[in-house]
This record gives sequence, C-alpha cells and structure tokens, in this order.
Amino acid sequence: MSTTTVGPSPFLRDPDVQLMLRVREGDESAFTQLVLKYQDRLIGIFTNMFADSALAEDLTQEVFLRIYRVRLGYQPTAKFSTWMFQIASNLASNSRRAKGRKKEVQFSSSMSGSQSVHVGEALVPDKSALMPTRQFDSEELRAFVVQALETLSERQRMAILLHKFEGLSYAEIGSIMETTPQAIKSMLSRAREHLRVALEKYIG
Amino acid sequence: MDKLARLNSEDRDNLTAYLDGELDENVTRRIESILTSSSAARNDVELLARTYDLLDLLPRPVGSQDFAEKTVATARLESVRKPALEGAWLKRVQQAIPLLMWSFAFLLAACCGYLVTNQWVPRQDDLLLKDLPLIQNLDLYHEVGSVQFLEELAAQRQLLEDIQGTGSP
Repeated sequence: MSTTTVGPSPFLRDPDVQLMLRVREGDESAFTQLVLKYQDRLIGIFTNMFADSALAEDLTQEVFLRIYRVRLGYQPTAKFSTWMFQIASNLASNSRRAKGRKKEVQFSSSMSGSQSVHVGEALVPDKSALMPTRQFDSEELRAFVVQALETLSERQRMAILLHKFEGLSYAEIGSIMETTPQAIKSMLSRAREHLRVALEKYIG
Repeated sequence: MDKLARLNSEDRDNLTAYLDGELDENVTRRIESILTSSSAARNDVELLARTYDLLDLLPRPVGSQDFAEKTVATARLESVRKPALEGAWLKRVQQAIPLLMWSFAFLLAACCGYLVTNQWVPRQDDLLLKDLPLIQNLDLYHEVGSVQFLEELAAQRQLLEDIQGTGSP
C-alpha cells in the first residue's frame, strides 16, 4: 500500500490552530477559550457593520456555532483568525442580503436599556476626550464617524474594520474576503478617500 | 492642485498603501518623491491619516458576561440534537416522503377517475342490457313492420276476435 507523505501544516505554530485541533478532539474548554478570545473582536466588527448590537451578538454566536459544527473535519489550512474572519465576512454578506440594514444606532454612552452590549464601558477615551467640553465634542464626532462609515459599501466597511480593528495586512484581508491584495488596496483607497471627504470638515 | 491632478488612480491608491506600509521599496521611493514635490499630495496624505485616526472613535462594544457560556451551551446542545435528527432511517423517510405523497396523489386521482367513469360514462354492455327485451323480440318486430300497422290492427276488434278464436285450441 503506497502512502503519500504530507508535510506538517505551516499553520500548526498558530496557538489558536492548536486550540482548534483540541476542539476537534473533543476538548470543549479549548472551544470556550477561543470564544472568549475572539468574541469581543467579532462583536466590535459586526456592531460597526450593522449598527445593531443585538444582531452583532447573534452573528458572533453564529460564527462560533459554525466553527463548532465543522470541528470534526477541521484541517489547518490557514491561520485560525483568517478562517474565522472569513466565516464572519461571509456571514455579514449573507446577513445583509437577508435582513437588510437596521439603522439602530446605539452608540450613546448613556444608553443601557435591555441591550447586553455595554457600549459605554468598552470605550477607551483618547487623551483629548478627558476634558468635559472635548468629551462632548468627542461624542458628536463619534456619531459623525459612525455615520460616515455607514455610507461605505458593505465590503469597503468590512475591509476598513479588518484593517483598522485587527491590523491585518492587505494580503490577509484579501484572503479573508476572497479577493486579491491589489483589490483590497483599491477598495481601502476608495473607502478612505470617501471617509476623508465625509469627515474633512471635522478634522481640526 | 495641478500637481495632485497629475496623480493617476494607481498613485492615489498608493498614497493610502504608503500610509499603511504596504508598498515595496521602489514604489515607496516613488511616492516619497511625489510627496516631496507636491504640497497638495502631502496635504492629501495628512488628511487621509487624520481621517483614519478618527476611526479610533468607533465603538468597540464587548459581549455580555454570559455570552461565552451561552454560546458553548448552544453549540453543545446542537451537537446532541443533531445525531437524532440525522439518523439514517429518518433521512430515508424524509427522502421518501415526497415520493409517497406523489404516489398517494396518483392513486387518489386514479380512484376518482375510476369512480367517475364507472358512474356516469355508460358502457356498451349496459346499453345492450337496457335494450334486451327489444333485442330478444327483434325478429318478431321485423315481421310486424311498423307501429302504425299494429295500431290499425288493434282498432279491428272483430278481426282480432276471429284470430284469437282460430288460435285457441
């Protein structure tokens, strides 16, 4: 019987890949670790994609459920985060197509309500926001930035958020969004030019 | 603004990529050369950078305290339910249901068709049975010829009595 020798995956050095391999073997604590590590990052991206914190949590949960469903057949063909964000990106596209956008802007620090997302607690105010008057300006400015982001296309917004929030390279974003780094470069250029035009008057 | 207008779309894309550190050495030198000679390009790059910094104001919400617990529990529940739902026998039944439904519909249509044809469409045999008395005496009716002759004969009472008297033993 002939056997084909396959070299070890280059992604085995990724600690999250190691965790996922443990999930494949039935280790639920490893799955919990992955959820805890990535939940806020995914919620942050989805919240800014859809301006809906409840939807963001639902979609984040769905990402993890999809990961769990395919755990038995998991093969490390990419960094875990790349694979996970790929699932998130596809889910965002499908969700937008299926549900449309809900303009539920909930980014007021005074907002609590029944939402489980603690927006006010998560914000890290920058130095200039510590002065009371500047804090007010910062709140208003944040609203303008949120509005400006919403004017971008869904793909532009995802690319911007992956680049800004996750610090991913064009190549990594291209891999996640299933396109080329060159396409991501153009996409980000147009998106940031768009944002520049929208926010120019607010830049001191 | 003239110098900025001379930038092609690739150079404009490269301004953003330059800020992101995504350019190779050659293109980086080219962009830096453009920036050195064009104040409009320098202004553009600065505005792009400052706009990008504004994205730090975007909200970064965190999940609820029990988010992880709920997610893991949901995943676990799904994995327990799934084997029951995906049992081989149930799958076969689910696959067979459309076929069964079509078969039943066909059978029902066949029964209805049979009943309709049986009740309302007359058969040749039934028509023959209805006319059996006529068919049995057909030779006699041929002898008679017409009904008018029979009626005239019935009107001749004396003739009938004579015929009956002759015919009686």
